Amino acid sequence: MEHAEPAVAPGRLRAPPRLAAALRVAAGLTGLAAAGGALAIAAGPGQFTTYAGRSAAGAVLTSCAGLGMVVAGLVTVTAGGSRRAGDLSLLAGLTWFAPVWAAWQDGPPLIPSIATVAAGFTFPLIVHLVVAHPTGQVRTAAARIFVTAFYSEALVAAAALALFRNPYSDPGCLANCNVNIFLVRSLPRLARAVETFDRWFTATAALALIAMCTARLARSSLPARNRLLPVVGPAMIFAAALIARAAVLQVVTVEYPFNPTLFTIFAASSCALALLAAGQTSGVVRARSERRAVARIAASLDEAPAPGGLRSALASALRDPGLQIAYWLPSWRRYVDASGEKVSEPAVRPGRTVTRLTRNGRIIAAVTHSDAAPDIDDHIGPAIRLGLENERLRAELLAQLTELRASRARIVRAADAVRRRLERDLHDGAQQQLLALSYDIRLARAAAQADGNGQAELALAGAVEETAAALEDLRELAHGIYPAVLADAGIAPALATLADAAPLPVDLALAADRRYPTQVEATAYFAVAEVLAEAARAGADHATVIVAQRGERLVVTVKVTGAGPIPPMVALADRTGALGGSLITNGDEYTAEIPCG
Amino acid sequence: MRVVIADDVMLTREGIARLLTDAGLHVAAQVGDATSLLRAVGATRPDAAIVDIRMPPTHTDEGIVAAHQIRAGHPGVSVLILSQYVEPHYAMRLLDELPERVGYLLKERVFDVANLVDALRRLADGETVIDPTIVARLMARKRRVGPLDELSGREREVLALLAEGLSNRAIAARLYVTERTVEAHVKQIFQKLGLTTDPDSHRRVLAVLAYLRNPA
Repeated sequence: MEHAEPAVAPGRLRAPPRLAAALRVAAGLTGLAAAGGALAIAAGPGQFTTYAGRSAAGAVLTSCAGLGMVVAGLVTVTAGGSRRAGDLSLLAGLTWFAPVWAAWQDGPPLIPSIATVAAGFTFPLIVHLVVAHPTGQVRTAAARIFVTAFYSEALVAAAALALFRNPYSDPGCLANCNVNIFLVRSLPRLARAVETFDRWFTATAALALIAMCTARLARSSLPARNRLLPVVGPAMIFAAALIARAAVLQVVTVEYPFNPTLFTIFAASSCALALLAAGQTSGVVRARSERRAVARIAASLDEAPAPGGLRSALASALRDPGLQIAYWLPSWRRYVDASGEKVSEPAVRPGRTVTRLTRNGRIIAAVTHSDAAPDIDDHIGPAIRLGLENERLRAELLAQLTELRASRARIVRAADAVRRRLERDLHDGAQQQLLALSYDIRLARAAAQADGNGQAELALAGAVEETAAALEDLRELAHGIYPAVLADAGIAPALATLADAAPLPVDLALAADRRYPTQVEATAYFAVAEVLAEAARAGADHATVIVAQRGERLVVTVKVTGAGPIPPMVALADRTGALGGSLITNGDEYTAEIPCG
Repeated sequence: MRVVIADDVMLTREGIARLLTDAGLHVAAQVGDATSLLRAVGATRPDAAIVDIRMPPTHTDEGIVAAHQIRAGHPGVSVLILSQYVEPHYAMRLLDELPERVGYLLKERVFDVANLVDALRRLADGETVIDPTIVARLMARKRRVGPLDELSGREREVLALLAEGLSNRAIAARLYVTERTVEAHVKQIFQKLGLTTDPDSHRRVLAVLAYLRNPA
């Protein structure tokens, strides 16, 4: 998977704005002049020697391809794309017209001479442009060597032809057969050999370019591939056309524009160049609108979006409503959404791609987005990464909070289960044994009575009383640990029994006479029990207990009168809080709200 | 009198059976769970069933459920529920759901054989039996000043015995007064508390218990 470096920041490596604008105007005018001049020459001296002069179609093809590249170059620079790419497009567009200018045989000799030299540079410039796409920088050493070698060969070939090719004695000449002001010495055989070598070197380089482009497309992610194809695809067609041209010229020697095969090849390469120009332009424009949208998000980060806000902002910026962000929590080894809820690991699906975003070398989030979107790694700058990191940290806190809540609730449940079991154990164990003991003592007393042993009978009667008292104590203890009626019949009967034995008068208003989850009932019950006990200790003379369900919450209110200050009931507040509820004290009114949905 | 005993603790079952046998009652069957109880009641047609409130499998209110089933299939059989809980809720639920001849006694009470036999006889006479501990708890409940404070000491005694399920005649015997005197007390009490007198002993007990729990 290919990760491109961030695009050059706006303003970097730029000429001062006014000069840059002037240069752009100049470049545009030059392009127009080059095109206009070329068309004029094609209509005149180049009528039979250039593709543009051959037919109206030839003229249109030549202009579209050349002007397209000039426009692409200007747009690239203007829209904040790579300046290098813009320059390369512009130059490739200008040199595209050179073969036509070389046909201006009755013009100033300098122009056909320069045009002949310049014509050899169109393809090296395009190779450079394509290899450097989309950033404008050639990043791998192999690609750099490739581009440099190609430029060097073109330079050497152009220099050799300029110095030693005498157009008069070139059997392959057509457009320019009489002008070369750079000629030092006429060496026709050398010139011929250089031309042939140059043609086949170019064909080989074209083949290499096709191979490089194919490999690059193959290893790119889908969005990267979608972004590469509009430029790389036409470039491959252009290269294929060059190979075909080399093969044909090996046979026909002279590049005669009226040769149908050669014209077809020319038409293909013109169309390819025009498409390449269009691809370059649209890519730059689209990248700019995306960069601006993402910059807007960065600017709005001050407003601290709500959890998930960054997701919707990115989704609208990238025009991808289905965009999802999963935050990586390294300590939990899991992905969560913005609210801290666990989500499954983001996976590539048909039409969706996953980009893992890093900050300071650590993964912070995985963004699942449409294949059609560009490689968002390019577009997301440090400000948004900071925003993502903030959201990740918040998600982590929320996840911890959720876990903490669950664990508190589990602790309460476990404690209640222990209480319940203890209560049962007391009833089934100790109480049964005390009952058996009481039965045995009664039998013994009856026996003593039958024997007429008055002393023993008296002592055993005392023992009967004591066992009864012990049973009574045990029953109270078990009831205090966990009333059986609470488990069997629910909150209302349990509170009624609590009121029966309360140390102060208690009025009950129970509007919630149905069953709730065990821990909800237990929490409500123990809340009332503790408040009543504390209120009685503080000298309260009356209490009213109101239980009602409000929405998803069981609301238990105890109003007391005549009580002195009651110390904070921390354990009760903890217990209520553990279930996601609250304990609110308002004067002499205590309210526990417990979620019961 | 023929009795069936249901309690999942064998020691308790055996103890009760021995006490009753010694007191001259006939124990027709001893069982450990509600299903066997219903089968035994069907097979032996006893006068009364003594039923533990907590039995397998859930150890919650199997006894009360079994009481319903006995009453549905054999309306003549008295049911005495034994419980380890001083829990008016269970007692009142029993009275509310089963008209007549039901009782709710604390377990330790039954080892006092005189108590147990008395309770069974009262049930056979059509009375209701509520454990005195429960009534005492309700009588002692903390209240704001109200109609109960207007009762005389003797009237309070009568009220407690009413709540325990005693008939006027039984109250008269207990207090060594004439039945007519008791009737006068009952009329007084009901007037002061604003309750309507009901000749049905069972409903009278329930009304008194409900009043003691939650005076309207």
